[in-house]
Amino acid sequence: MTIANTGPLAPVATHRRRPYGLLLVATPVLLVAWLVIWPIISAVIQTAFVTTADGGSAVSLETYSFFFSDGYSLSNLSMTLWTTGVCAALLLVVCLPIALYLRFSDSKVAAYVQGLAIFPMFVPSIILSFAFIRVLGPNGTVDLLLNSVGLPHIRSPYLTPWGPVIGLVWDNIPLTVLILLSGLGNVSNQSVEAARDVGAGKFALLWHIILPRISNSILVAISFAVLGIFSAFTLPYILGPAAPEMMGPFMQRTFRELLESKTAITQAVVTFGFCIVFGLFYVRSVAKNRAA
Amino acid sequence: MSVLKIKDVSKIFPNGTTAVDSFSLDVADGELVCLLGPSGSGKSTLLRMVGGFETPTSGLMTIDGEDITRVPPEKRPTGMVFQSHALWTHMNVFKNLAFGLKLRKVPADEIKRRVEGVLELVGLGGYGTRSVTQLSGGQQQRVALARSLVLEPKILLLDEPFASLDQHLRERLREEVRDIQQRLKITTLFVTHGQDEALSMADRIVVMRDGKTEQIDRPDVVYREPQTPFVAGFIGTMNLIEGVVANGVFSKAGYSTPVPVSDGPVTLAIRPEAVDLTAASQNAHGKVHRVTDYGTHGLVDLELLDGTRMKAMVPHPDLFKPGQGVTLALRAVAAYRDGAVIYRTGVVTPVSHPALVDA
Amino acid sequence: MAATLVSRKTDWTGIIFAAVLTLVIVFPLVVVGTWAFTNVWRYPSVIPQEFGLRFWNQTLARADVWSSISTSLTLAFTVTALSAAICLPAAYAFARLDFPGRNLLFFSFLAGHAFPKFGLLVAIAGIFLQLNLIGTFWGVVLIQLVGTLLFMIWIPVAAFQAVDRRMEEAARDVGASPFRVFWSITLPQAGPTIAAAILLSFVGTFYETEGAWLIGAPQVRTLPVLMISFINNQPVIQYGAVLSVLLWVPSFIALLFARKVVNSGSFARGFGG
Ligand SMILES: Nc1ncnc2c1ncn2[C@@H]1O[C@H](COP(=O)(O)OP(=O)(O)OP(=O)(O)O)[C@@H](O)[C@H]1O
Ligand SMILES: [Mg+2]
Repeated sequence: MTIANTGPLAPVATHRRRPYGLLLVATPVLLVAWLVIWPIISAVIQTAFVTTADGGSAVSLETYSFFFSDGYSLSNLSMTLWTTGVCAALLLVVCLPIALYLRFSDSKVAAYVQGLAIFPMFVPSIILSFAFIRVLGPNGTVDLLLNSVGLPHIRSPYLTPWGPVIGLVWDNIPLTVLILLSGLGNVSNQSVEAARDVGAGKFALLWHIILPRISNSILVAISFAVLGIFSAFTLPYILGPAAPEMMGPFMQRTFRELLESKTAITQAVVTFGFCIVFGLFYVRSVAKNRAA
Repeated sequence: MSVLKIKDVSKIFPNGTTAVDSFSLDVADGELVCLLGPSGSGKSTLLRMVGGFETPTSGLMTIDGEDITRVPPEKRPTGMVFQSHALWTHMNVFKNLAFGLKLRKVPADEIKRRVEGVLELVGLGGYGTRSVTQLSGGQQQRVALARSLVLEPKILLLDEPFASLDQHLRERLREEVRDIQQRLKITTLFVTHGQDEALSMADRIVVMRDGKTEQIDRPDVVYREPQTPFVAGFIGTMNLIEGVVANGVFSKAGYSTPVPVSDGPVTLAIRPEAVDLTAASQNAHGKVHRVTDYGTHGLVDLELLDGTRMKAMVPHPDLFKPGQGVTLALRAVAAYRDGAVIYRTGVVTPVSHPALVDA
Repeated sequence: MAATLVSRKTDWTGIIFAAVLTLVIVFPLVVVGTWAFTNVWRYPSVIPQEFGLRFWNQTLARADVWSSISTSLTLAFTVTALSAAICLPAAYAFARLDFPGRNLLFFSFLAGHAFPKFGLLVAIAGIFLQLNLIGTFWGVVLIQLVGTLLFMIWIPVAAFQAVDRRMEEAARDVGASPFRVFWSITLPQAGPTIAAAILLSFVGTFYETEGAWLIGAPQVRTLPVLMISFINNQPVIQYGAVLSVLLWVPSFIALLFARKVVNSGSFARGFGG
């Protein structure tokens, strides 16, 4: 399976331009148009206009000004920003060493480490949430072990802002490692050996040779993680505090429990706004990657 | 009993490349015609148009008088053997051969009989149950040939079928193919850029260049009487020497020889075997640069006084040493001007030795 | 050769990584597995007082478990089948046919991944609200279908492009119609990779929680949705543990088949790495 290996669409040798190609791709393309593009456009339109008394419509940013003046919404937003930032930083701190190790090691242990680093990809976040509670929750396994050696209980991260952070980092390790590793694949052994040859120490090597080469991969990994984390739902919903909550659970509650769909959609558009840079960067990178 | 006619066929790809340029050719019943030319000369494109995989931009193609120009490949009575053999790796040998017959709703027992017959023909009797990935390159190419033959196509098309094989296998297979082709009397168009292949197999050779025909002739004629300097240089080893004729004498760097044509620049073409070389310490025309001993004969690379390189075939290579002065006498020459032959002396018997032909 | 940073003798770095990752990644799952096979485990005992299958019987006797298993399977099958039916022909077209706007349309499938997912789901839910699709089976099918599009098109496109064109031409040559060529040559050749894509999309759908929760719950109750309510409201820990083990089965199968694929760098490059 080489999603990206094929390059962009390699030029097709047949030179007939018959519309039945369009016919074959029509259904999925229309689905994307209807269920991705249109909802986004409609969300923006819906929240930016109000129906006036005489039945016409007028531009109004009322819902946004409400969002940005409402203390609760703002604290949810800042909690989301905080979580996203902390997660992104932690992911780099955790995954970069793993990826570096995997790239430059060929020992047997490396295969095992790689297997472990990929493994969370095969653990659905709902099972992860349950495991988290059983291990780090009140009276969880960690408590049991501490208790058995006579130490006091931990302050459980369950239902605190750190709960989602731990869960999200765990969940995002595999793809971050894979993306970084794939970036490190572009650093040739020769260039590393050449740098050591002229006397670069390990730190200089990392700073001057390796990091510049993989800066793009780091940005892609971060973008991908940010897009996933910013509006994460399951983990913050189960592991996070009830208030303030992250944008995911917040939107869900506004939509399903308060039945305020317009407010929920406003919140969604706000998340789009905060992630637009990462989204564009991510798409550009993937597209460029396939076009390379 | 099939005749292929190609008339004024051109192919211009959407990117603007003119791959084939008003090409015309008639292939007689049972004839094997080789398309020979350098890389990019449009051989494959032409063959693929005959097979139906490319549509000509203009022109007409007929098989037995029937227009096939716009007929899709599956409806054409042609069978194609690809360079990369293109066997279906998810089917075994038998199924590869049987696929086309099944599409034609041939009864199962006849399929079995015909497939086994053809496998026998290509020397792979009993290989039916083998997976095609477990065959050697030569065997795979034979299966590919069998896959086309089993359908008894009117026209057999082969696109460099042996290009990926080693020299020995290539030689053996080309004899086998020639054998089978003559036994079945199947009209065949064969693409190659190996001239030895063309010279040894073809009834006629089409030399192509930039999508156009340079010459269409029997192999011995193409070899002995190349119509253009391009053909002269492309087939076999040929010394092509640019010079000037004045008063019926061609001269180049102190060497001169009579060439009875009008004054002006000419390209002189001389086969190495038409050069008589004599060791000489005085009045030398050039000096030996390198001597290669092929056992049966030798090949001397020499340098004329102005540095022009030439090759000469000598019966006793041990008579020549690098650096030694030599004089030459040319037994047979052809002179070209403006891309056409304007003069030719008598003919030299062709010596087709791999060393000469492959060079 | 490649051991430029890590010495070859004793790979201490690796051993430390392995130990830490084992503790962080494997250990929590082992705890869940243990809970699933525990009859009694009271605080503060470090190991369970009694192992057994009691809660398997109890969990599997619950009607809500069975109904959500069947909902999840029906959903996953429906979505995967629909997705294959619309995506494979499209993938073939992208790989093999030329038509106006081919590249633009191809990259349009990335659009869904350029936005925070749950925000997008809420925007879609806004549309569904007007169409009365909230709380319906087909609403969930649609939302999960959109989630599978990128994978189900990009991976098969790569697979189709990897099929030797000459093989297809050879089949045309022996008399197969374009459709027959697709059926008898292209599809079998691209088969294994496409199977991997279908498996991944099945597993992905099976675990899809957010769309199902937002659009479907409480009427459409998939296994992950049931799991959420177990976590929120179920005092008996073992129910959740047993359900987790059950829930992990498709993942395990995917792990067996798709691990190589995921590990092959090309997968990550698909994410832009
Ligand atoms: N699908 C195509 N689109 C555009 N140009 C093409 C295409 N196929 C071939 N060409 C061009 O047409 C010309 C002739 O190509 P062709 O493959 O027929 O050459 P050839 O004689 O078979 O060469 P070779 O000996 O290398 O196989 C080349 O310049 C080639 O680049
Ligand atoms: Mg060719």
